Amino acid sequence: MKQNQECLHETYVWEVPVRVTHWVNVLSIATLSVTGIFIGSPVTLGLTASAYVMGWIRFIHFVAGYLFAISVVSRIYWSFVSNRYAGWREFVPFLSAEGRRNMWRMFAYYTFMSRKVPHPIGHNALAGATYLLVFLLYLVMILTGFTLYSEHAPHGPLHALLGWMFAHFSNQGIRQTHHLIMWFLIGFAIHHIYSAWLMDVKERGGVISSIFGGYKPVQGRE
Amino acid sequence: MEKGGSKGKGENPEQCFDVPRALAERGITRRDFMKFCTAMSAALALPMTLVPRIAAALESDARPSIIWLEFQSCTGDTEALLRAANPTVGEIILDVLSIDYAETIMAAAGHQAEEARAKTVKESRGKYIAIVEGAVPMKDGGIYCCIGGRSALDIVREVCGGALATITVGTCASYGGIPAAAPNPTGAVGVKEAVPGATVINLPGCPVNTDNLVATVVHFLTFGKLPAVDGKGRPLFAYGKRIHDNCERRPHFDAGQYVESWGSEAHRSGHCLYKMGCKGPETFHNCPVQRYNEKTSWPVGSGHGCAGCSEPQFWDTMTPFYRRLPNVPGFGIETTADKIGTGLAVATAAAFAAHGVVSGFRHKDDESKDGKGGNQ
Amino acid sequence: MTKIVVDPITRIEGHLRIQAEVNGGTITDAWSSSTMFRGIESILKGRDPRDAWYFTQRICGVCTTVHSIASIRAVENALNITVPLNAELIRNIIIGTQLVQDHVIHFYHLHALDWVDVVSGLKADPVKTASLAASLSDWPLNSPTYFKSVQDKVAAFVKKGRLGPFSNAYWGHPAYKLPPEANLMATAHYLEALDWQREIIKIHAILGSKNPHPQTFLVGGMAIPIDPNSQNALNADKIAEIGELLGKMKRFVEKVYIPDLLAVASFYKDWAGIGAGVGNYLSYGEYPLDNSGKPEKLWFPQGIILNRDLTKVHPIDQKKITESVAHSWYEGGAAGVHPYDGQTDPKYTGPKPPYDMIDTNGKYSWVKSPRYDGKPMEVGPLAVILVAYASGHAGAKGAVDMVLKKLGVGPEALFSTLGRTAARGIEALLVAEELPKWLDMLVANIKGGDLTSHNGEKWDPASWPHEAAGFGWHNAPRGALGHWVRIRDQKIENYQAVVPTTWNASPRDEKGQRGPYEAALVGTPLADPDKPLEILRTIHSFDPCLACAVH
Ligand code: HEM
Ligand code: HEM
Ligand code: NFV
Ligand code: SF4
Ligand code: SF4
Ligand code: F3S
Ligand SMILES: [Mg+2]
Repeated sequence: MKQNQECLHETYVWEVPVRVTHWVNVLSIATLSVTGIFIGSPVTLGLTASAYVMGWIRFIHFVAGYLFAISVVSRIYWSFVSNRYAGWREFVPFLSAEGRRNMWRMFAYYTFMSRKVPHPIGHNALAGATYLLVFLLYLVMILTGFTLYSEHAPHGPLHALLGWMFAHFSNQGIRQTHHLIMWFLIGFAIHHIYSAWLMDVKERGGVISSIFGGYKPVQGRE
Repeated sequence: MEKGGSKGKGENPEQCFDVPRALAERGITRRDFMKFCTAMSAALALPMTLVPRIAAALESDARPSIIWLEFQSCTGDTEALLRAANPTVGEIILDVLSIDYAETIMAAAGHQAEEARAKTVKESRGKYIAIVEGAVPMKDGGIYCCIGGRSALDIVREVCGGALATITVGTCASYGGIPAAAPNPTGAVGVKEAVPGATVINLPGCPVNTDNLVATVVHFLTFGKLPAVDGKGRPLFAYGKRIHDNCERRPHFDAGQYVESWGSEAHRSGHCLYKMGCKGPETFHNCPVQRYNEKTSWPVGSGHGCAGCSEPQFWDTMTPFYRRLPNVPGFGIETTADKIGTGLAVATAAAFAAHGVVSGFRHKDDESKDGKGGNQ
Repeated sequence: MTKIVVDPITRIEGHLRIQAEVNGGTITDAWSSSTMFRGIESILKGRDPRDAWYFTQRICGVCTTVHSIASIRAVENALNITVPLNAELIRNIIIGTQLVQDHVIHFYHLHALDWVDVVSGLKADPVKTASLAASLSDWPLNSPTYFKSVQDKVAAFVKKGRLGPFSNAYWGHPAYKLPPEANLMATAHYLEALDWQREIIKIHAILGSKNPHPQTFLVGGMAIPIDPNSQNALNADKIAEIGELLGKMKRFVEKVYIPDLLAVASFYKDWAGIGAGVGNYLSYGEYPLDNSGKPEKLWFPQGIILNRDLTKVHPIDQKKITESVAHSWYEGGAAGVHPYDGQTDPKYTGPKPPYDMIDTNGKYSWVKSPRYDGKPMEVGPLAVILVAYASGHAGAKGAVDMVLKKLGVGPEALFSTLGRTAARGIEALLVAEELPKWLDMLVANIKGGDLTSHNGEKWDPASWPHEAAGFGWHNAPRGALGHWVRIRDQKIENYQAVVPTTWNASPRDEKGQRGPYEAALVGTPLADPDKPLEILRTIHSFDPCLACAVH
C-alpha cells in the first residue's frame, strides 16, 4: 500500500471548462428538476391573484434552461479541443475492440463478477458510454424544453426553428417526454454519485476530488 | 327582421338583391352593417383601414356557390352554423352565400339532391367553395360512409378536386377527429389527407366556432384568397395563439392559485384549471377571445378545462381529459409519469444502496498492486 | 310493382337510405338502411370512464347534450354516485332546453317543407296572412307589413334564380294542401325560428360554455360552480338571464310553434290515418325531481305500451333489452344480445360502391335492431306522451286532449304520422312550461345555502371497485336513450349505446319483424314515385338521427 502511494502523482485530467460545465450542469439540473416538478404538479401558494409564484418558478426554470443549454453546448464543443481525457472519443469506447474490453471489465467489477477495479485516468469506459447516453438525454431535454418554450411566442424565430417538432410529435407527447426524462436523469444522478463515491472512497480512485481540482492521482509516468 | 320596411314593385331584380338593402329590409342600418364589417376585420386581425374593402366585397352580389358535404360527422358543425349571429344563418342562406347542397337543410332529397350537387360541380367548376364536415373513411374501399350509393372518398375527390377552395369545418374533417381516434376502426382521415391535391383550409374545433367560419368566408370574399395559415393549415387569425396566453384565468395560473376539486372555493372563485387537466397550455384556438354563442361563454369561462379540441388527434393526445399529462403507454390508467419516475428513482437508490453494502464486505482489490488494470 | 330508392334522405341528421316497393300508388314494403359507421363504442374501450361523456357527446351534434347525460348517468350508476340536487336541476334545465330547441328546429327547418310549399307563399295576400295569424295567436310580429317584407324577400330570392338550399325540391307537388297564406305564414316563422333557436340556446352557453357540445358535464355533478357572490360561477345575474331566455322559449312555443302546428295539421288530417308503425311504445321517463335516482321521482313517467293499448302501462325490465345484428353489418349471431355483452365489430357485406340497390335479403344497414322482449318498439315524443297520458300525467292529459279537441279527432289519431308530429309539439310545450319551475327549485336550493355542484367522493379512480357495471337512461328529443358500461381496473371494458334512432330506424330482426320506420311506411300512399314527398313526411315525423343510430 505504502509503496503504491509513493508511486502516485497528480495528473491534470479535468481542465477548467470540463469542471465548470460539470458543476453548472449539476446546479442547473437541480434547479430545473425542482422547478420542473413544481410546474408539473403545482400546489396553491399564491394568496392573491397578483402573486407571481408560478410566474417566478417558470422564470427560474427558463433561465436555468438557458444556462444549462449553454453549458451543455460548451462541453460538447470542448470535447473536440480538449485534452484526451475529456475528448469525444472517451464517450464512444464501444467503437474500438479495446474500449469494449474495458467496458466489460468495468461491468464485471460492478456486478461483482470480478474484483479487479480498473483505474483509468479519464472516464472509465463504461462511464464514458453512459455519459454519451446522458448527454443525449440532455439534448432531448433542451430540445423539448425549448420547443415547449417557443410556444409562448408562436411564429417567432424560436417557434420557426422548432416548429418541425410539432409536425412529428404532439405537444402533449413532447411535454410527457420532457417530464419523464427528468426522472431518468435523477435516476442517473443517484447512480453516478454513488459510483463516484465507490471509486473514490471505497477504491480510493481520487475521483471526486478530481472534479473539483482537476487533478487525479495516477500511478507511474505516462 | 321585425321592422322590415317594404319596397316598391317592378324594380330590377338585380338591384333589389343586394346586401345593404336586404339588411335595410330587416331594419339593419348602414351603421350596423359597417359595425359588422368592423367586427369582422377585428376577428380577422386586419387593420381597420380595410373595413371599407370588406364592406365593398359583401355588398357586391357575387354570392359564391357552396357545397356543404357531410361524411363521418355528428352534424355539430352544421348546428354551429345555425348559431351564426353576424350575419345570422338566415342572412347567410339568403344573402351571403348560395348554399347549393347541404343535406341537413336542403329541401330536395334523393336523386334530386344529388342532381343539385352535380349541377354546381359541373357548371361552377373551379368557382364554388366546398365546405366539408366529418372525416373520410379510407379503409375497405371507403364502405363506411356512402351517400347515394357512392363512397365519401369518391364524392370528396370529385367535389374538392373541382372546388376553388375547400374549408374543413371541425376537427373530424380537418384531421380525422373522433372516428380517427385509436384504434380508428374505419381508417378515417381529414380532407387534406383524402384529397392531397386540394386547396384546403382547416377550421378545427369540436365543433368549429362559427365566427371563425364566417370570418374565413368574409376574408375570402374580400381578398379573393384564403387567410394565412400555420403548419397545420389553420388560419393564424383564429389559431395563432394558445388558449393559455389569452385565458382570463391566466393571472391565477401565474399567481399559483389552482382549482384542486370541483365546486371548491377555488373553483367558485375562478382559479386556474391547470390541475383539473386543462389543455389550454397546449392548444391553439381563439376561444377565450371569440367565445361561443354570440360571445356568451367558452369552456374555461364556465368552469371546465379546455380539452384541446382544435388540435390534431386530440382524442388520443389530450386524453385523459382530467389529467395534465397523458398516460404512459403500457402502464395502467393511474400510472402517471411521476409515479413511474419516483419508482425508478427509488429503485435506483435501493439498487445502489444494496450494491454499496455488498461492496463494503468485499475484499480490497489487489489489482492496483501490480499496476495493471489502471491507467489505460 | 316499382322499386324505389331515396338516398340521401335529407333534412335529417346523418345518412339514411330508404328502399321501398310501390304497388298501385301505395308502398307495400320498405327497408331502412344507414350508410355511415364510425365505431365510437370500440374507440371508448380502454379509456377513462370519466372521459366517456366527452366522446359520446360527439355521437351527435344535433341532440348534442343527450349522450353526455346518458354516459355520466351510466358511470354514476356503475360507481354508485349520488349527484347533488343542484347538479340534477342544472341538468334538467340543460336537457329541457335541448329538447325544446331541437323540436322547434325539427318542426320548422327539417319537417315543415314536407307540408309547406314555400313558393306558393308568393301568391299570398299579406293582409289575409296577418289575419290568419291573428286568429291563431297574439304574437306581436304577425303584421301585414311583416309578412309583406318576408314575401318580398322570398320573391327577390326566387327571381334571382339561384334557390340555394331550396332548389330542386318538390314545389307544386299535388300532396301540398296549404293555402298560400298558411304557406307564407309558415315561411316567415321558418326564418323567425332560426333567430329564436340561436337566442334561447344561450342557456347552454351560460350553464355549459357553448352549444353545440356544451363542455360542463362531470361524473358526479357539473363543472359550473355555484356562488351568488362570484362572477366566475352561476350567480344571480346568470340565473336572471336564464330566466329571461326560458320566458322567450315558452312564449315562442305557445304563440308560434303550437298554433302553426295546429294550423298545418288541420289541413292534413288524412295523415292521422297514415304511418302508424309498430304500435309498441317505450319511454324511459325523464326529469328527476330530486337526486334519489328513483324512477318514481321522474316528472315524465317511464313505461311501455303494447299494441296501442292505452289502458295498460307496463314496467320496464332492462334485462329484456337486446340488440340483434341479423340484418346489420356486424360480426355476431342472429339472436339478440343484451347491451352489457354487446359488441360492435363491423363486417360489411353490402355492395361495393358505387351501387344502385342494396340486397335487403341479407344484411342491409349499419343500424342494429334493438328489441324489448323480442318486440320492436317505437320511441320518441309519441311514446313519451302516450306513456304519460296513459299513466295519468296531468299535464300530458290536458295538452293531448286540447290538441285532439282543436283538431276534432280521437285518441286513435295519435298512432300516425300526424300524431307523431303533434306529440312532438305537445312534449315541447309541456317541457317549456315546466322549465321555469326547475329554475325556481334551483334558486330555492341555492337560497337555502346549498352551493354544491359536484360530489367528488368517487372522483379519484383509486376509490373505485376493481369491477363495476351500470346503465344510464335518458329521454332524448328522439326518445329512449340508454348507455351501458362495464368498468374494469379503472378503464372502460365495454360500452354500448342503444339509441332512439337505433330503435326507430332498425332493420328487420332475426324473426323478420320490421323496424318502426319500415312498418310505418307500409301503406303510405305515393302520388309520384319520382317525387316521394310522402316518404319524407312519414320518415321525418320520426325526426331521424342516423349519427345517433349508428355511432
Ligand atoms: C434537465 C433539464 C430539465 C428538467 C429536469 C426539466 C424539467 C421539467 C419538468 C418536470 C417540467 C414539467 C413538465 C410538465 O409536467 O408539464 C418542465 C416544463 C418545462 N420546461 Fe423543463 N426541464 C429541463 C430543461 C429545460 C430546458 C433546457 C428548457 C428550455 C427553456 C425547459 C423548458 C421548459 C418549459 C417551457 C416547460 C413548460 C412550462 C410551462 O409551460 O409552464 N426545460 N421542465
Ligand atoms: C456530488 C455530486 C457529483 C459528484 C461528486 C460528481 C463527480 C463526477 C466526477 C468525478 C466525474 C468525472 C469522473 C468520471 O468520468 O467518471 C463526473 C463526470 C460527470 N458527471 Fe458528475 N458528479 C456529481 C453530480 C453529477 C450530477 C447530478 C450529474 C447529472 C445529473 C452529473 C453528470 C456528470 C456527467 C455527465 C459527467 C461526464 C462529464 C464530462 O465528461 O464532461 N454529475 N462527475
Ligand atoms: N336518436 C337520437 Fe339523438 C336524440 N334525440 C340521441 O340519443 O339525435 Ni342526434
Ligand atoms: S368535429 Fe366535432 S362537431 Fe364536428 S363533426 Fe366531428 S365530432 Fe362533430
Ligand atoms: S385555466 Fe387553463 S388556459 Fe386558463 S390559465 Fe389555467 S391552464 Fe391556462
Ligand atoms: S376544448 Fe375546444 S372549444 Fe376551445 S377551450 Fe378548448 S379549444
Ligand atoms: Mg350501439
